Amino acid sequence: MTGPMLTRRHFGALAGGLATAGLLRRAAFAANPGVVAATFPGAWEDAYRTVLTPMVKAAGFDLTVAPSMAQDQLAKVMASRSHPAYDSLLMSPGQTAVATENDLIQKIDPSKIPNWSQLDPSFQTEWGPTVTVEVNGIAYNPDLVPAPKGYKDLFTNPAYAGKVSWTGFESNTAVMAYTQIAKIFGTGPDDMDAVFKLFKDHPESLSAVVDSTNHQMSMYQQGDIAVFMCSTNNVAHLKSLGLKAEFVHPETGSPAAPVYLHLTKGAADPDGVYAYMNAAISKPAQEALQQPPTEMFPTNMGVDLTPSIAAYITKAQVKTLVYPDWVSINKNRGAWTKSFDAIVAK
Amino acid sequence: MRSSGIPYLLPMLVLSGLFFVLPLVLLILFSFTRDGAVSLQNYAAFFEDPFNVKVLTATARLGLETVAGTTLLGLPVALLYWHSGPKTRQVLVFLSLVPMLTSNVVRTFAWIVILGRQGPISQTLMALGATGAPFSLLFTEFGLVLTMTQIDLPLIILPLVAVLSGTRRDLSDAAATAGAGPWRIFVTILLPLMVPGLLAGWILVFASTSASFVTQAVIGGARNVYVPQLIYREVGILFDWPLASAIAVILLVLTGGTLLALASLARHPRFARYV
Repeated sequence: MTGPMLTRRHFGALAGGLATAGLLRRAAFAANPGVVAATFPGAWEDAYRTVLTPMVKAAGFDLTVAPSMAQDQLAKVMASRSHPAYDSLLMSPGQTAVATENDLIQKIDPSKIPNWSQLDPSFQTEWGPTVTVEVNGIAYNPDLVPAPKGYKDLFTNPAYAGKVSWTGFESNTAVMAYTQIAKIFGTGPDDMDAVFKLFKDHPESLSAVVDSTNHQMSMYQQGDIAVFMCSTNNVAHLKSLGLKAEFVHPETGSPAAPVYLHLTKGAADPDGVYAYMNAAISKPAQEALQQPPTEMFPTNMGVDLTPSIAAYITKAQVKTLVYPDWVSINKNRGAWTKSFDAIVAK
Repeated sequence: MRSSGIPYLLPMLVLSGLFFVLPLVLLILFSFTRDGAVSLQNYAAFFEDPFNVKVLTATARLGLETVAGTTLLGLPVALLYWHSGPKTRQVLVFLSLVPMLTSNVVRTFAWIVILGRQGPISQTLMALGATGAPFSLLFTEFGLVLTMTQIDLPLIILPLVAVLSGTRRDLSDAAATAGAGPWRIFVTILLPLMVPGLLAGWILVFASTSASFVTQAVIGGARNVYVPQLIYREVGILFDWPLASAIAVILLVLTGGTLLALASLARHPRFARYV
């Protein structure tokens, strides 16, 4: 037989070559480790990967978009402070408050973000840029239920009995809805006993309690639920999939949550994070991100709203939305989570 | 001089020591700390709350129900394997392995469709007139057991097949010649032969089911709470890691306790001769 023979010398050369290649790759990685940026899973992750990766690459940095819910981001960074899992975090005020309290993020230097001045001043914070504002409300299927007026309808109108899905206090969307419901049925946003009593008095409301909004989206597609608490982005995503879904601003006001990009303390490549932030608030990126399926509200002053987003919210209306007190929520969130879980458990 | 074989095990022992035993020891130690001091407070806090005890019971029940489900479905497959020729046996083993080639997450999400209102179970029963309106098995313990049974079925079939493939087939022929009917052959010959496979399968299924976070969360919903969800809540939502460690140790003890119970069963005089 005259086939190729792998001698011991060849094998040694091959192993040596592979080891050298590995070392060279490590050396290259050490010089430019790239940015690992946490983003919310789903449509957000896809959009950030598609739109921002080439822009950050053009600035000279590799970007890895890692999907993770905001609470999970906190847990992972807390678990390894000296070598944080992410160089940049994406979160809402509730988690940002925890991140600052636990010294997980650092103040940014706006001079390193050339597009900083393009942000509306209300979207500039010392902890990082606001990349969008999530406007929350109620999603419903017009084929299955009438348009609800607000949260109260979901408990008092029999048309919604057994058709509404809720999540626990892990979800920011749910927490914001519950604080509004506490205002309606209780004495104020922190009166969560009133909410728990409401669920006890309306056990049909507990027929579809799940663990996340993403899960609710799957169930909505299957026709298993007709109503859930959502952001405008969730409804835009459902519509982009060809599903019938409408968004309602609750009559008591729409809760809203700004979404921030943060620089993690101990980030491997802070310059890369600044390039990533600069890309995320740039006009081309925000114009792309406000297209379906994400339809993110732009924070760059130079970006005009698409008709589709303007149908939900205008730039002037953003300041009139309901912004919950996250410091107060965070103080109670652990106890509320446990109480809710105990109430809904079969 | 005969080698003891230990040098060949060294890489595995080192890896297990570094990445399994050491973290496990740290986890156990961590579960006995509270505010920097050694304490039993985490365990006390867990057992003082009736909700946690209810969740622990529900987790054990889920594991046992899935063990029952996989046994009911796995035994006929094992018997078919026993009675089949070499080609059919290969096909059966392949078909048992196929589900394991797809991700657990993918299989779990497929079950959302199967168990939902528009899914085949609901639609078939409606077409047969067994129910007047679409219904959903999502977020029910029955739906979860059904899902876990399908997902974990290979874990019981493969040990059974492994046991049977090493057994002489003429045992049942000899029993038949002696006048034993199919049922008697199954009860007195095949079932005892399968005991080691059943024990291995039960342990694997129980451990897999009781720790299956994704399937429990997705199919069970937020109303069917099991121990892994408690651990996730303490780690990712409440950031109480010592308590999370204690709950993880309790889950480990629950699985270990089942393992010991099954091992004791195997040592019972009635079964010991087959193990």
